[in-house]
Amino acid sequence: MFRPTPRASGYFRTDYAQDLALLQTRAERIGLAALVAILVTLPFVATPFLLDLACQVFLASIGALSLMLLTGYAGQISLGHAGLIAAGAFTTGILTREIHAPFWLTLPASALTGVVLGLVFGLPSLRLRGLYLAVSTLALHFIVIYLGGEYETKRGFSTGILIEKPSLGGFKLTDGRAWYFVLLIFAAATLLICVNLLRSRSGRAWRAIHARETVAEALGISISGYKLLAFVISSAMTSVAGCLFAYYRGVVSIEAFDLFLSIQYVAMIIIGGMGSLLGALLGAAFVTVFPYAIEALLKLLPNVQKLAGDIFAVNYASFGVVMILFLILEPLGLVGIWRRLQNYFLLWPFKYKPLAGTRK
Amino acid sequence: MQLLINIVVLASIYALIACGYVLIYRVSRVLNLAHGELMMFGAYLVLACSSLFAGHPVMALCAAVILSIVTGALVYIFLMRKMTGEMVLAAILTTVALGILVRGVVVLVWSSQQQYPAQALGISNPTFTLPGDGHISLWSLVLVLTNLAAYGALFGFLRFGRWGMRMRAAGQNPLLAAQRGINLHGVYALAWSLSTLTGALAGILMALDSGVTGSMPVIALKAFPAALVGGLDSLGGALIGALIVAGAEVLLIYYVDPLLSDVVPFLVLVAMLFVRPWGLFGTREELDRV
Amino acid sequence: MLKRTLLGAIAICALTIPASAQDAYVVGLTGALTGPPSSTYAPAVDALGLYIDRVNAAGGVNGKKIQLILEDDGAQPSKAAANTKKLITQDKAVLILNASLSSTYAPVIAETQAAGVPLLFASSVCPKSVYPPAEPLQFCTTGFAANYDSQATLDFIKARAKGPVKIGFSAMAIPLSRGEIDYAENLSKEMGMTPVDKEVIPPPTADYTSFATKLKDAGPNWVYSWAPWVTQVRTLEALRKLGWQDDYVAWGHLEAESELSRLKDGKFFVVNSNALFQEALPIHKEIEEAAKKAGSKYPAATMAEGWIAGMAIEAALKGAGWPADPAKLKASMENLKVDTKGLRGGPIEWTKDNHFRTKLYYRVYTWSGDKISRVQDWKSYDVK
Repeated sequence: MFRPTPRASGYFRTDYAQDLALLQTRAERIGLAALVAILVTLPFVATPFLLDLACQVFLASIGALSLMLLTGYAGQISLGHAGLIAAGAFTTGILTREIHAPFWLTLPASALTGVVLGLVFGLPSLRLRGLYLAVSTLALHFIVIYLGGEYETKRGFSTGILIEKPSLGGFKLTDGRAWYFVLLIFAAATLLICVNLLRSRSGRAWRAIHARETVAEALGISISGYKLLAFVISSAMTSVAGCLFAYYRGVVSIEAFDLFLSIQYVAMIIIGGMGSLLGALLGAAFVTVFPYAIEALLKLLPNVQKLAGDIFAVNYASFGVVMILFLILEPLGLVGIWRRLQNYFLLWPFKYKPLAGTRK
Repeated sequence: MQLLINIVVLASIYALIACGYVLIYRVSRVLNLAHGELMMFGAYLVLACSSLFAGHPVMALCAAVILSIVTGALVYIFLMRKMTGEMVLAAILTTVALGILVRGVVVLVWSSQQQYPAQALGISNPTFTLPGDGHISLWSLVLVLTNLAAYGALFGFLRFGRWGMRMRAAGQNPLLAAQRGINLHGVYALAWSLSTLTGALAGILMALDSGVTGSMPVIALKAFPAALVGGLDSLGGALIGALIVAGAEVLLIYYVDPLLSDVVPFLVLVAMLFVRPWGLFGTREELDRV
Repeated sequence: MLKRTLLGAIAICALTIPASAQDAYVVGLTGALTGPPSSTYAPAVDALGLYIDRVNAAGGVNGKKIQLILEDDGAQPSKAAANTKKLITQDKAVLILNASLSSTYAPVIAETQAAGVPLLFASSVCPKSVYPPAEPLQFCTTGFAANYDSQATLDFIKARAKGPVKIGFSAMAIPLSRGEIDYAENLSKEMGMTPVDKEVIPPPTADYTSFATKLKDAGPNWVYSWAPWVTQVRTLEALRKLGWQDDYVAWGHLEAESELSRLKDGKFFVVNSNALFQEALPIHKEIEEAAKKAGSKYPAATMAEGWIAGMAIEAALKGAGWPADPAKLKASMENLKVDTKGLRGGPIEWTKDNHFRTKLYYRVYTWSGDKISRVQDWKSYDVK
């Protein structure tokens, strides 16, 4: 999306406005229009189950995009993503239960929680790198979950905090279709924010830090400032995802935010392809839909009724197998496949770049 | 007295698990998040072997231990070898995927019920009373001793053994080591089998003491802070780290609030990360970025 | 990108819609069939499957077969919600069953309520919403239930103890278990007992001895635990290891029977609402035979819970007639009496505002000498 995509020849940008435009060619505009058209018509043809799946994908996309911003671009590993989602969800849950806060209050409040936690999560990054940083964020995850569990127990919400569906301007969001559009808009907005952030000064600073901190500092980039900024922005967006999750499911409980969720988000950005927003989207869709797809595929096997008790274990194990195969066979992720596909059509009828001169 | 025993037993559990993390991290800089699953797998192997060698508990135990060494080597040869030279995060994710696979297989083969290998082997678990009214069960005691033996053997091996020296060299500078003719794949495979061995020992002994279910891997995650507090690349550090974490946990359970025991290891860890990120005995290093 | 995946998913799902959908009663289940907590639920679901197979082999209900569709949620709330949505909209299930952790209740309840489909908690702990006055669409057959269990247990302790009772508690650090033990602690005070200590133990625990040490040092002469089996039994084992020799009461989960004979502990009591297979009632033999025939992985002794759920489902469908829709089924379930044939102390009765049981029955078992024995026969409690 952001990386200059290969274009046919004969396209020149002649003023700065063109340079800044998000969509530059007619093909891109048509492509986007088609995508929007499909996304808008989808809820009217899809079954409610597919709609739910799509909503899950949108929610995951928000989380994956923000993690991609942090890990894929700014180079800061985080294993505390589930903790941040939980923080947003719990802020929403607590505010609605305690003071009956409406949607327009809980959403910014969740974002604010995200900002604060982002600062806290980000502090270790000033001293730590790589794995050690990941582990410190992991520790914060456990602390958030502990606090959430204490709240649930002390207030007697043993099966989770129930949350009323929010109303927007007198219109209550209960319908699956309405949710689809709300989440779609939020996911699209997140994508837009990410794209623009990455084209701006901060985005360039993050990539410089990612590439080599010393050089970045020598270029006059405030390392600590931009690292914290990355954490703050990413956490705020993640917490918003948590808030939406809470409303969408109508319930918040600590069991929903275990370590496995954090790992799933890391899986999304790696499987999708590091350092690409498109990769984050692809990864989010893949990791979310995959278990359901495997289940559906396995059920197609003959004699499946006999296996009934075992099928879920097989299902679970095959999730591991496919993930392994993916990591081994396609290290560049889904976005690598996408790029190859693009190049294939771009270079057609040639298999490789003919006359590839000195430049890569 | 009992508190002291509790600390020692818990520290031994954590230490025996933690040294598995350390071994692999030290040579290949990969964090093995499937360690807990491999540990559980070892415990289930005892079950499998107990039905295979019915009536010969010692044979069954030995077979399980050997099988777990083989498992470790196979994991490296068929899986992690492919990840050599890839992004560290991708390698870690591969271990996560391996963990998921192992869990699925365990449920498939042994169902998700609680199992008791000790019962299957037909051995009991008597309790000894120590002076000062301390109590310790047989298998906990064996675990403490095994832990000491394992650490002793590993120290000796890494310090004086030929392959041990190669392992240290590979950990310090893999490229140089490879160019000096050290068989890197051999060294890595060895590290994986040793790590799986110690993990499986911990799993087997815990299972003999109190049974095994599918939730065992979570324990390994709690041993992880121990490895980190001591320094991820230091064996001695893992031992001390395990003592610190176990001590903090046991004392807090007794004197403050049992609920804290879940969070404490990680609080200790965060404190440690702020003061000495590379751990008590770890080497200071620049880590790879993503 | 998104569209490709979604289109793929549509294609896959389109292929999987069962052809036989509408000439059978479709019952959907979402349960924790994989993942750490599955040991409580998987055997019950297995048993339920066996029961339904048997009903089908005998000609079905009202001449129609029952089609049981299982979905695994791995105890994840999100997955449970998606499963429920699929079962209701795609498989057109007339009844949804939940056999999973309490964290999945709220999303499943929300989905079933939106669709007006009755929801039956089978083998997962009964939420308070099925107690009178019950929520219209929620029902429960599960043996264990908050508050009543502690009431029965403490009554048993009071009757059994000779002198004053100093009671210790053990819970797992999940909200449900903690809530119940807190309730029990208050109740014990009202009943004139002295609560001395309460241990809340996190689920992943390497060594229970630390918790047991504290419990033992508080000096209780009774300990009560209401938690998943792991916590109950490992606390006990750790206490015994430390030389504590007094009485221990726990809830009799599915595992109780095999565990009583493993531990052979004369001062370990399990409070149970299901008759143990030790009683060797005709129905027990029936279950054992069915389990053997199907080659089930789980021992027959863990199957009573699923069997009871099956009985309730069969009775409810029978009352609903053919073709059944959720509304008819709901009407049938609101006026239902299921004969448990001795598996429980009495029938399961549901009325308009009681979707739990009108009467609860508890038995207490322990190990004596060489076999499991009953120390207290069915004692009934009215549910109000």
